[in-house]
Amino acid sequence: MPEQHIYGFIGPNGAGKTTLFSMIAGALQPSAGRIRSHGKDVTGKRPFSLVRAGIARTHQVVRPFRAMTVLENVQLAVHFGRKNITNTAAARDHARQVLAWVGLDRVADTLAANISLGDQKRLEVARALATDPELLLCDEICGGLTRNETRSMLDLLQRIRQQGATIMYVEHDVKAIMAVCDHVMVLNYGEKLAEGKPEEIQNDPAVIEAYLGKAGSKKRGRSVA
Amino acid sequence: MSTAVYVPSRIKSRIRMLLPWLLLVVLAVLPIAGLTPNLIRLFFITFVWVTTSLGWNLLGGFTGQVSFGFAVFYGLGAYTAALMIDRGVNPYLSFLAAGLVPGLASFLIGLPTFRLRGPYFAIATIGVSEATRVIMNNLEITGGASGYRIMEHVPFRQVEHYYTALGMAALAVAASLLIVHSKFGMALRAIKQDEEAAADLGVNPYANKLAIHAVAAIFTGVAGGVFARYAAFINPQGVFAFQTSVYILLMPVIGGIGTVWGAVLGGVVFGMVEEQLVANFPQIHLLLYGALLILIILVEPDGIAGLLGKIFRRLRIPGRKDDGADSGSRKADEVLRRTAGG
Repeated sequence: MPEQHIYGFIGPNGAGKTTLFSMIAGALQPSAGRIRSHGKDVTGKRPFSLVRAGIARTHQVVRPFRAMTVLENVQLAVHFGRKNITNTAAARDHARQVLAWVGLDRVADTLAANISLGDQKRLEVARALATDPELLLCDEICGGLTRNETRSMLDLLQRIRQQGATIMYVEHDVKAIMAVCDHVMVLNYGEKLAEGKPEEIQNDPAVIEAYLGKAGSKKRGRSVA
Repeated sequence: MSTAVYVPSRIKSRIRMLLPWLLLVVLAVLPIAGLTPNLIRLFFITFVWVTTSLGWNLLGGFTGQVSFGFAVFYGLGAYTAALMIDRGVNPYLSFLAAGLVPGLASFLIGLPTFRLRGPYFAIATIGVSEATRVIMNNLEITGGASGYRIMEHVPFRQVEHYYTALGMAALAVAASLLIVHSKFGMALRAIKQDEEAAADLGVNPYANKLAIHAVAAIFTGVAGGVFARYAAFINPQGVFAFQTSVYILLMPVIGGIGTVWGAVLGGVVFGMVEEQLVANFPQIHLLLYGALLILIILVEPDGIAGLLGKIFRRLRIPGRKDDGADSGSRKADEVLRRTAGG
């Protein structure tokens, strides 16, 4: 996988997108195959050691530490991420910078339980980002967001890439994927169906079939592009 | 703020920072000011309980790992100190050992049991605790079930015990505050809320649980040791009893789980009323604890500290409605955190 790219993953429900992420992030163990990072085998490593190896993830269903403030949520990630900062004041300063960068500074001192879903989604990204990852796994970060929120989230993804991180991005919203990804992989029943640039994927007959059914029936109402 | 008297917040926080020191000074002066031996004894016991309460709170309150097995640490600490002091070792050196032995034992217990989650962990700790009691009941060198008497060949000075216990409790408060406001403490709070999410941000839940378990065991063990020297007689049915585990768990729950000053408050309340309860209701005092526990869980899960936090808020902001999303625990935590000056 090339670096500093946004790699998109799409596929129908149950195609194995989240499972793939969970295996890379160490939450699930693959039954076969290996996962390599910079040529090093990281298969079967625990999530916390993968974070230190530069792999961080967000969760499809948000999991903020609700009894902590937004700032504390990010501060934790600064403490235990690749930067491994022990000093609390330094970590808090760095966390503030991250929050300002992702645009959450206005709710920094609010409890994570009390911010909107859009902000909680953004907090997922902010936390993962605060661990200073080389590879960021974003799982449905736009799910349930309004159009405006989605747009600004996609902006954020592109800014993260510009900072030098590689992003693996799973989303149901095909439009969102096509808009930001440099490279797209289509999964179906746990297998790779197609892979290529967004424009190539949109016209791939196998992809159209998986999404729309054999005849490419228009009644299914969901268009690939 | 609608308070009538305006106090600059910096001065306010200075005052808050000073409060614990003031308390310490008052407690240090009390015996000189002529406290009766009976009250000195009561304070001594209270300091011991406060220390165990703080220890349990680190694991149960901050990290969310409810253990019913702290009598093991208390008892091991008591017996370690007893055996050493009886053989003429310096008592303070013995107290160090009384912390060290349970600290090491905590790893033996934690390594397998922290593979379990929630209620399964709690049940496993009951098993370990009961097994330890049975073993101690049958161990020859400690006198088995008939207990162990400590012969110390120095005159008994009650005030020395008082200051020892006070110093220990103060150290436990200081250590708790340091831990809570550190990187380590932050990891513990995260683990309590969502272990997997914490791991996804680089926290190793297993290692952090083991570490705080050891710290909690050291607190509890030293408290056991200090108690044993004062009591001069210990037996497995006392220090290793399941009842002891329940007492140690009950205090932070009464006071306010997950806050340092809540745990202190719980220890104080328990220490002060326990004897009265045992004396006045010998048959049903355990029943009263059970009822109290249920009442707290149902009515005020954040204990006395949570209740005080709510009352303070009401007084400070009259007429402001309680917003439902904000739980009492967090309020209490905020209030207490501010009081702690952190």
